[in-house]
Amino acid sequence: MSGKHTIRLTVNGRQYEAEAEPRVTLVDFLRHQLGLTGTHVGCEHGVCGACTVIVNGRAVRSCLMLAVQADGAEVITIEGLSEDGRLHPIQEAFAEAHGLQCGFCTPGFVMSAYELLTREREVDEEAIKEVLGGVLCRCTGYKAIYESVRLAARKMGKLPA
Amino acid sequence: MVSKAEWHLPRSLEELPVSNPRYIGKPVRKVEAPPLLTGKAQFVDDLDLPGMLHCAILRSPYGHARIKRIDVSAALELPGVVAVVTGQDMQQWVRPLGGIPSGWGTHCLAVDKARFVGEPIAAVAAVDRHTAEDALDLIEVEFEPLPAVVNALEAKEEGAPLLYEDKGTNVMFHRLFTWGDVDRAFQEADHVLTEQFRWHRLGANPIETFGVIAQWDPVENAVTCWGSFQAPSFSAMGIAGALGLPLSKVKLVPMAHGGSFGGKGNPRGALIAAVLSRKAGGRPVKWIEDRLEYLMAGGGQAWERFYEASIAVKNDGTILGIRIKLVDDIGASGENSGAISAIKPLAAFTGCYAIPAAQYEVTMVATNKNPQSAYRGMGPPAHYVVLEQIVDMAARHLGLDPAEIRRRNFIPPDRFPYTIPSGNEYDSGNYPALLDRLMEMSGYRELRRQQEQLRREGRLVGLGLVSAVEPGAFNMNVYTILGVPAGTAVPEGATVALDPFGSVRVTVGFALEGQGQYTFVTQLMADYFCVSPEQVKVTCTDTLSAPVHFGPGGSRLAVALTGAVLGAAETLRRKLETAASYLLGCQPGEVELMDGMLRVKGQPERKMSWQEVVGAMSARPDLFPPGTDLSTQATYVWVPPDRNMPDEQGRAKSYLTAAAACHLALVEVDPETGKVDVLKYWVVDDCGTRLNPATVAGMTQGGVAQGIGAALMEEYVYDADGQLLTTTFMDYLLPTIYEVPPVESAEMVTPSPFTPLGVKGMGEGPMISAPAAVICAVNDALAPLGVRVTDVPASPARVWKAIAQARGQR
Repeated sequence: MSGKHTIRLTVNGRQYEAEAEPRVTLVDFLRHQLGLTGTHVGCEHGVCGACTVIVNGRAVRSCLMLAVQADGAEVITIEGLSEDGRLHPIQEAFAEAHGLQCGFCTPGFVMSAYELLTREREVDEEAIKEVLGGVLCRCTGYKAIYESVRLAARKMGKLPA
Repeated sequence: MVSKAEWHLPRSLEELPVSNPRYIGKPVRKVEAPPLLTGKAQFVDDLDLPGMLHCAILRSPYGHARIKRIDVSAALELPGVVAVVTGQDMQQWVRPLGGIPSGWGTHCLAVDKARFVGEPIAAVAAVDRHTAEDALDLIEVEFEPLPAVVNALEAKEEGAPLLYEDKGTNVMFHRLFTWGDVDRAFQEADHVLTEQFRWHRLGANPIETFGVIAQWDPVENAVTCWGSFQAPSFSAMGIAGALGLPLSKVKLVPMAHGGSFGGKGNPRGALIAAVLSRKAGGRPVKWIEDRLEYLMAGGGQAWERFYEASIAVKNDGTILGIRIKLVDDIGASGENSGAISAIKPLAAFTGCYAIPAAQYEVTMVATNKNPQSAYRGMGPPAHYVVLEQIVDMAARHLGLDPAEIRRRNFIPPDRFPYTIPSGNEYDSGNYPALLDRLMEMSGYRELRRQQEQLRREGRLVGLGLVSAVEPGAFNMNVYTILGVPAGTAVPEGATVALDPFGSVRVTVGFALEGQGQYTFVTQLMADYFCVSPEQVKVTCTDTLSAPVHFGPGGSRLAVALTGAVLGAAETLRRKLETAASYLLGCQPGEVELMDGMLRVKGQPERKMSWQEVVGAMSARPDLFPPGTDLSTQATYVWVPPDRNMPDEQGRAKSYLTAAAACHLALVEVDPETGKVDVLKYWVVDDCGTRLNPATVAGMTQGGVAQGIGAALMEEYVYDADGQLLTTTFMDYLLPTIYEVPPVESAEMVTPSPFTPLGVKGMGEGPMISAPAAVICAVNDALAPLGVRVTDVPASPARVWKAIAQARGQR
């Protein structure tokens, strides 16, 4: 438990170096060591998906990954999507299609959609539903989230209009 | 000048000082969205204060046990641990929590006895959460396990293990309410049908758990708490009462929070963190509840009910009376507000129906479980599952379609305002029109024909059609029945400030929670003062500086906050009109605000902008006669008008608005597994004037999702010793996108005659109706087998058992 490890990783294109005990999860490391509090903790046992971030191109539940496992990795969090206040097309779509209420789970949905829409050349509605099926939202009942991601897919040229 | 008697808040959008509203009533984008979408919104766990410590809580592993000894010495020696508290400290520094029903509160850390698994026993503040949790392992507690009682029907009997020996009983509250001549109604009925129902424990489970940072100020003898408080001013009252401080010494700073649904009201965390901070010399102490703690001991368990219900009907389907007996398993104490849920149905006891007589027997029982909390809908969701099912039973018995029996019993549209037997007054409504619209939209007749066809093919397809009234703009008056020491009103205040450059700043006392209230305030103020939404800013402030307020809860803010901001805006309008009359050289009373301009009535060319008037009011007092009110800011506190105290049968004008809805669910039951799929879902609702239709649509879809979870999936399960078996989201199941179909919805608008702009509360409504619709659909699907599921949730196991029972009988 004791003894700290030095972790070097890239988050949102910027290099970080920080110390953490081996038992520190990636999400706690991002939030409390690096100050990137946009990624949220909902259940800490890998079910709700609120803590989803991108690690080396894949969507990961950062509550189930230890910070030391991310040594040398390239990580993208919700903070990495917008630039100087300009929303990413996925974020823009969520704003437009009312895809959030309390917004706590939203980074998990946005990052899950981000993986899908940056990985695939083209997506269909079933693929969208499958990705969203892994994240829990207690406010919206999912309809507006689904519509938001469809809209984002169209904005990004991944789903025929 | 307008005299006070004539003054009222605008009753409709047409009465606003704008010819063509551009924002209010339209599906405007949420102003709350950008910070939430970019990770910039600040939730309590995002806050890191200098010198901050982290709290971990040691919890009871037993459902019922005497605490014989606690030794914290080893924990205190662990490097990094700064303070430890036990029940003894709490006895010294904290009063027991008040409790509803009154007298059933307890301490925030167990003293002498633990009464549920997860009850806080001791707590540690350390330099980080890991160290604090390590220290918990070093605390020695000697427990003497006692027999636990986890079934309310057993707990209420004599000889059951007592949670509080000094009370001599586990029965917390018992009352029989009788409204109208119920005995006669049942004697004169052609048919009486009776059934027992069971609603199992479920709860709010917002994706963010509760969290708080408390900082004791040893110099001022005061405390500041940053936290995910739903109703900050009420939480402040509870914390002040427990700590023995005046409200002036308690500052709550509400943070943006990740949903609440009533499920964040447990007061223990804030008190524990506050006392730890005091022991730590005033260093801030952060406590973030983890999901296990939330499921086990947080504010997330509600309504666990045993019902027996009877309906008295005539041959033509006329309902003469209903009797409902409720035994409610409140859990280990009245520290949360769960008990209110058993009384709230008084506000809409007979639903949409003109039922002349009713009886309600309520027994609340203490058991060794997590004390019940609030949850969206606060009781009526379970009540309507019972009411709508007995109406369906009567329909089936009489050979009437569920739509037809409802139509025959609806309160006629010309009878509003309408007083129901349990005393509340419904403001307005048109229930037959709702039903017509639902049947038309869903193609109800055709669905019934298709159902017949599918039944012939052996498929178990069901339709659940329900109607329900959602009591809105809640009031405390009726809860004096439970000893709640509150006045008869729940206020909401807002401050509106104008500046000469055209900005409109609004200050409120509650934080972002998801319902889009800042958005509708922005819409409303942008139209009222004819500015762009970018010029309106809504800010939340702490309980010491905020206007008097309650915050979201009980389907109230659309009504109450509209009242507050319009009251402030109208006060400003009158000031501007008076000031402008001097500047325009006419008499006060000859000037009116319209489209952002102060203009002389009948002479539209004599006008100036409100910004110019505000500029003059701020900088040129010499232009006005002495005594002119030149303040360009106003605060207004809205309270629900015309409320009264309950009579000897609990009858009172309680909730101000009565939104209504008809829901229809189409489900299919898999006969092999008992799994229920909700295939389609329709809603027609009437919540009066809609401030933002997109928000209403979102709340509707989300409420239906929670209703589907309640009806089919969500359940806290305890074993016979009071051990909670559902301690993760793998066991306590929340609906995913796969369980929730997109809701097809339509709106009707019957404005409230009693509220600003004719708005009605609607936040809970979809959750109030949806469980009933789904359960009625399941039982409609099972009807050909001659069986019914009377337990909620209708989990696959329960449905499968009912089907097996039917097959065994054949």
